[in-house]
Amino acid sequence: MADTCFRCHGPDKNARMAGLRLDIREHALQKTSSGVIPIIPGDPGRSAIVQRVFSASPARVMPPKYAHKELTERQKELIRQWVAEGAVYEGHWAYQPVRRPQPPGIAPSLHPIDAFIQARLAREGLTASPEADRRTLIRRLALDLTGIPPSPAEVDAFVRDKSPRAYEKLVDRLLASPRYAERQAQHWLDAVRYADTCGFHGDNPIPAWPYRDYVLRAFRDNMPFDQFTREQLAGDLLPNATRDQKVASAYNRLNRTSAEGGVQPKEYLAKYAADRVRTTSTVWLGATMGCAECHDHKFDPITARDFYSFKAFFADIKETGLVPDRGARAWGSQLALPTADQQGRLDQIQAKLKLAREALERKTSELESDREWERKLLDDHRDGRLAWRFQRPVSAESAHGVKLAIYNDEPVESSTYSGASLATSREPGHGLVVASGPNPDNETYTVSFRPGAGEWTALGIEIVQDESLPGVRVARGSDRLIVTEVEADLGGERLGFALATSNVASPFNELPPYGAIDAGPSTGWGIVTYGENKNLFLALRFTNKVRTAAVSVMTVRLHQDSEHRQATIGRFRLALSSAGHSWPEASDTRRRSPAEAGLPADVAKALATPETERTAEQCEVLRHYRQWISPDLAPLLAEVEKLDAARRYLELEIPRVVVTESVRPSVTRILARGNWMDDSGEIVEPAIPAFIGKLQASGRATRLDLANWIASPENPLTARVFVNRLWSQFFVVGISKTVDDLGSQGEWPSYPELLDWLAAEFMQPSSNAAGAHPWDIRHLIRTIVLSRTYRQTSKTTPQLDERDPGNRLLARQSRFRVDAETVRDIALAASGLLVEQFGGPSARPYQPQGYLAALNFPKREYSPSRGEQLYRRGLYTHWQRTFLHPSLLAFDAPTREECTVNRTSSNTPLQALVLLNDPIYVEAARVFAQNILKHGGRGLAARLDWAFHRALGRAPSREERRILQDLHRTTLARFTKAPAAAAELVTAGEAPRDMAAKPASLAAMTVVARAILNLHETITRN
Amino acid sequence: MTHTARDICRRAFLGRSAAGLGVIALHSLLAPRARAAKGVIDPLHHPAKVKRVIFLYQAGGPSHLETFDSKPALARMHGQGMPESFTRGQQIAQLQGRPLVCFGPQYEFRKFGKSGQEMCELFPHIGSVADEVCIVRSLWTEQINHDPAHTIMNTGSILAGRPSMGAWILYGLGTETEDLPGFVVLISAGRGGQMQPIAARQWSAGILAGKFQGVKLNSIGDPVLYIRNPRGIDAAAQQDSIGAINALNRVQHRALRDPEILTRISQYEMAFRMQSSVPGLVDMSGEPKQVLDMYGAVPGDGSFASNCLLARRLAERGVRFIQLYHRDWDHHSGVKANIRLKAEEVDRPTAALIRDLKQRGMLDDTLIVWGGEFGRTPMSQGGNGRDHHIKGFSFLLAGGGIRPGITYGATDELGYAAVENPVSVHDFHATMLHLLGIDHKRLTVKSQGLDVRLTGISGDVVRDILT
Repeated sequence: MADTCFRCHGPDKNARMAGLRLDIREHALQKTSSGVIPIIPGDPGRSAIVQRVFSASPARVMPPKYAHKELTERQKELIRQWVAEGAVYEGHWAYQPVRRPQPPGIAPSLHPIDAFIQARLAREGLTASPEADRRTLIRRLALDLTGIPPSPAEVDAFVRDKSPRAYEKLVDRLLASPRYAERQAQHWLDAVRYADTCGFHGDNPIPAWPYRDYVLRAFRDNMPFDQFTREQLAGDLLPNATRDQKVASAYNRLNRTSAEGGVQPKEYLAKYAADRVRTTSTVWLGATMGCAECHDHKFDPITARDFYSFKAFFADIKETGLVPDRGARAWGSQLALPTADQQGRLDQIQAKLKLAREALERKTSELESDREWERKLLDDHRDGRLAWRFQRPVSAESAHGVKLAIYNDEPVESSTYSGASLATSREPGHGLVVASGPNPDNETYTVSFRPGAGEWTALGIEIVQDESLPGVRVARGSDRLIVTEVEADLGGERLGFALATSNVASPFNELPPYGAIDAGPSTGWGIVTYGENKNLFLALRFTNKVRTAAVSVMTVRLHQDSEHRQATIGRFRLALSSAGHSWPEASDTRRRSPAEAGLPADVAKALATPETERTAEQCEVLRHYRQWISPDLAPLLAEVEKLDAARRYLELEIPRVVVTESVRPSVTRILARGNWMDDSGEIVEPAIPAFIGKLQASGRATRLDLANWIASPENPLTARVFVNRLWSQFFVVGISKTVDDLGSQGEWPSYPELLDWLAAEFMQPSSNAAGAHPWDIRHLIRTIVLSRTYRQTSKTTPQLDERDPGNRLLARQSRFRVDAETVRDIALAASGLLVEQFGGPSARPYQPQGYLAALNFPKREYSPSRGEQLYRRGLYTHWQRTFLHPSLLAFDAPTREECTVNRTSSNTPLQALVLLNDPIYVEAARVFAQNILKHGGRGLAARLDWAFHRALGRAPSREERRILQDLHRTTLARFTKAPAAAAELVTAGEAPRDMAAKPASLAAMTVVARAILNLHETITRN
Repeated sequence: MTHTARDICRRAFLGRSAAGLGVIALHSLLAPRARAAKGVIDPLHHPAKVKRVIFLYQAGGPSHLETFDSKPALARMHGQGMPESFTRGQQIAQLQGRPLVCFGPQYEFRKFGKSGQEMCELFPHIGSVADEVCIVRSLWTEQINHDPAHTIMNTGSILAGRPSMGAWILYGLGTETEDLPGFVVLISAGRGGQMQPIAARQWSAGILAGKFQGVKLNSIGDPVLYIRNPRGIDAAAQQDSIGAINALNRVQHRALRDPEILTRISQYEMAFRMQSSVPGLVDMSGEPKQVLDMYGAVPGDGSFASNCLLARRLAERGVRFIQLYHRDWDHHSGVKANIRLKAEEVDRPTAALIRDLKQRGMLDDTLIVWGGEFGRTPMSQGGNGRDHHIKGFSFLLAGGGIRPGITYGATDELGYAAVENPVSVHDFHATMLHLLGIDHKRLTVKSQGLDVRLTGISGDVVRDILT
């Protein structure tokens, strides 16, 4: 009736028709306004609902035709029978208290799960299937519990283990593996919509991965689920909250956020809060509270008041509608997570920095009375002596193949963006150097020019913006630009630099300029985000004045050796200053010829203002400027710069995470129809949905009160919801299929008593479960996988298929494609490429260039990780919400823009293209082939056996072997004839190549390995 | 791969099958692909007027006041305060807290065609097909920022995870081709630089199975992600590999009878066919010069014009839902110059697509939609721009079942709110589905206990614009 009747005759008072409500017995027995009695218990003939559902009149029949909800004859009969038997209403099953049912007493030794299952199977005239063979069992278990297939040695050991406890030992070994935590974390991260980016608009990276690591540790350490719940919902409110508990509270901050300019704060605060209600109610309560944002629930007794009362629990979270994605206030409340060592170093640097700053300020103050410099500066400015002299390069070369073109008087195409619009032009380049052609990860540009006779104090590097550059409009790739070191020579002699400064306004947007002259290859200057919309300018003060003659050639080398691939300069100019005063001018992109003034506008303005009339800010500008130009202050400033750079690099190393910060709760009102502009709604206090109960709290209930209730035995939903979801990990579908909804529209469980038994066992393990604690996830999983039901073969029979096509009775196991991350992990593990590292920053696997082209703010390109980070488990993939990695997306990984508790599972041609052609899978095949040749024994047959064991845990059949032998033979012949093609294939990917293998042999085996990695069986858990 | 290469594959396949790769049913790779995969709406709820949709999505929010909604009264009010009676209590984006001043239309409007449809003078080519199009001047939406506004326009909901309209239509109607995805997305950039991000969510399948998601066709790099063979693997080697993979999968299927394995086999076959047909699809070298000129397309430039021509080629090949995003309509500043740029980019190709489909007899069973996620304020932003606006904006519709040469609905005299025959996003969706033979109330999928639909809980077919 929930499906067919309640839409119009259910809880939603606004949708109710004829004033009739059927979901509550008292209402259904009352005479309606039109004078009929819907239900007269025991008298179906006179009950209006029975008359109406059986009515032959199209005008009277219920449900009406326009509802497109038909009752079957059987359903109608059932309604008649139910009314005849007294129309007894029982509350919805999921809302009743959890009681521990006694497992059917079939055989005393039977596992309780098996007892429930087999009792029902017996009633249905079915029998359980036999246990799967050991090879299947270990692969099933390993994939379910750890997400990594077993190694051939593990398979062998298990197959040979004669101990009666062999299986149990295997289960315990796998459950103790850190891989188990990684596997469980994946499911949880879907549910709590964990991702690495903010999800709206610019979709910039949020500091979130330490939360993911918290989840990993919680599963690894088998944290009780009630504690896990409390820490995430309210870790910040726990007395003497630990760092971990604060990190856990990031849960409340994982909702999507927007930094779009025209955000209406109230609207977005409403969106964020609604997200929390939807997520929390789905994850823990299996309740679809989201609907009640706009109206009372159609089918469940959840009212709009319940929704907003639930939302009020989160009203203390400090946040803004527009959540800045850069700058000092980026992402709101954060927690830095230094190691003890990092904290120690940071303290030390801070102390030194304080002293250095004091010394600089003291000396600056001493010079305060000397105002002569101001006059001289103004003179220099007036006479043009501050000007930067842009140089005309005579040569420009690159180390790794980039083509550098010099545009002096030659016209050059430019396309520049001002923050609002784009303008294109074609004008002389004035010394512009433009990079094109190959785009290596790192480069060094060497540029020579003839400055002419003169005396020089500083070198300037102008980074010129252009729309053609994908990396923040200045770099040839990546989402940033990094110059790791600048070197200059004159006539073969190295020129030293003393100071560095840039025109980037916010220190949060750049890396320290000092990094470009610190002789450290890993540190550099650059920009790391967007918002400047102008050319960048780096000014480097020579240690000593540089004198050049008319014929002198100066050579500048720009090293770009950052870890970030292709964070390299697209367009630049070089300049010299002779004044010692010249400052990197903040030039706007509209200017075609370079700025040459060398004096910032604000400094010029302050200088022009009589001393007595200067504002404090102007005084500060001048003081700061003077520090840059005064030779007396230079050494002190250099010391400050050096320490400040060290501090900044260290801070970048220290992980940060968004956390919940509690403030005075904002007022929560019921929003009529969810309209955030409507301020007239009633004010509500935090409360759980009224139909479930009432919280006992002194004063205003808090998130901690909510968390305590959610994870308490008084709440019938949490345990049922969790075990049902857990069950679906091991049997594809939950005991109730609707793992996201245990409300009245949710599916009636196939094994209600088993569900309750598991829920009870979860909350309080039975006394004979050694070492288990309340809310013990690992104990629950162990219990499930030790059952015979789990261990059955998945083989089916025509009879069984007909009786139970969806396998809901579980007379066999199921076969299904593994999750997206596991698809990747299997290929990496089988090939030998997999790098296992527990936790840490997210990794960036290869991804097609241009995939992020539709993003903006900033305009950016994807920059893959390097080395080992390329081969980490799928779980650790950088989770870009609006453009999730295409290979994960193809295999149905959720974007995590919203809470997801049930992934879809599709079977598409795009999946085939991923497994065949995504470079990581080609590289996996190549490395797999190297290992096959190296370790697979002698002869093709042995090698094929070895490969099959690695990928599938079994030997190939004769027919399978023959198919692969044929493929190998044809392919080997082809590659022998086409050595160039072989050479291309065997260099796929960045993992080291085994030089011992002949290219044609390796290429042919790569094709064979690729076929194996593409098999349906390879990505199937059986 | 060209046709020739495809022929080579064909021969190679036959040859190798004979050579004993254990390949059994590879003939299915070679059969002409006329067969369609059926959708859940079978039979249709009512006879369909169109088989496919081409949505020319002008992303960023085109100003209705400089395209298809003529407002002489606004011109007269230029520079004066916007009457508060219009704006009080309404949503506002970047103009929050700013004075609201009327900003007159930046260009003249002219009457076009026998129908005398009024359009901005910057769109003479669309004007030349004025008698083919229906102008709807009374769209409205509820989301004032790009990301959510795109989401509601595409999915009918602001919640992430709801299927996009293309996915719904594939789910409902199935595909007409197995060589190409049934839902294809193309994106072009404008020259004005006012380009807002567009998330992949806009063409996602959401809670529907992944096979219904839109597939993005790229103008740079691989046209479809991972469509290109790895270096060192040519078409014949790829074919051998797929042959062996499917032969091995068949061995498994014989033992297990798992239908998923058969599906996997057919997906590999389809992947190969996509690999064969996509290069031919995007290779426009065979298009006559006059056709390229009509669109203003330069093959390979990734422009909106080239994408319009590609859209026709996709339509010819049986693709069901073709969505072209053209970015750069977010004219917070410089409306005047920027609209001109956009007109230069979209006017000619839009008209060419309509004309080209018509001359090929395909306009009758195609619905063409032209519009964006919202419109722009009649008030000025920064003296020369317009802010986001949700209360009234314009769409163009053309094709089968659409009454040509009419203007439907109207905004008030200042172009602020749709006051005559307002059309919600759900009304638009309902109308589109109706033309495809679908009753929007009956295209549903169960999720979280709800019968989720594209049109949420509202939506009325706009019958007055239908033939």
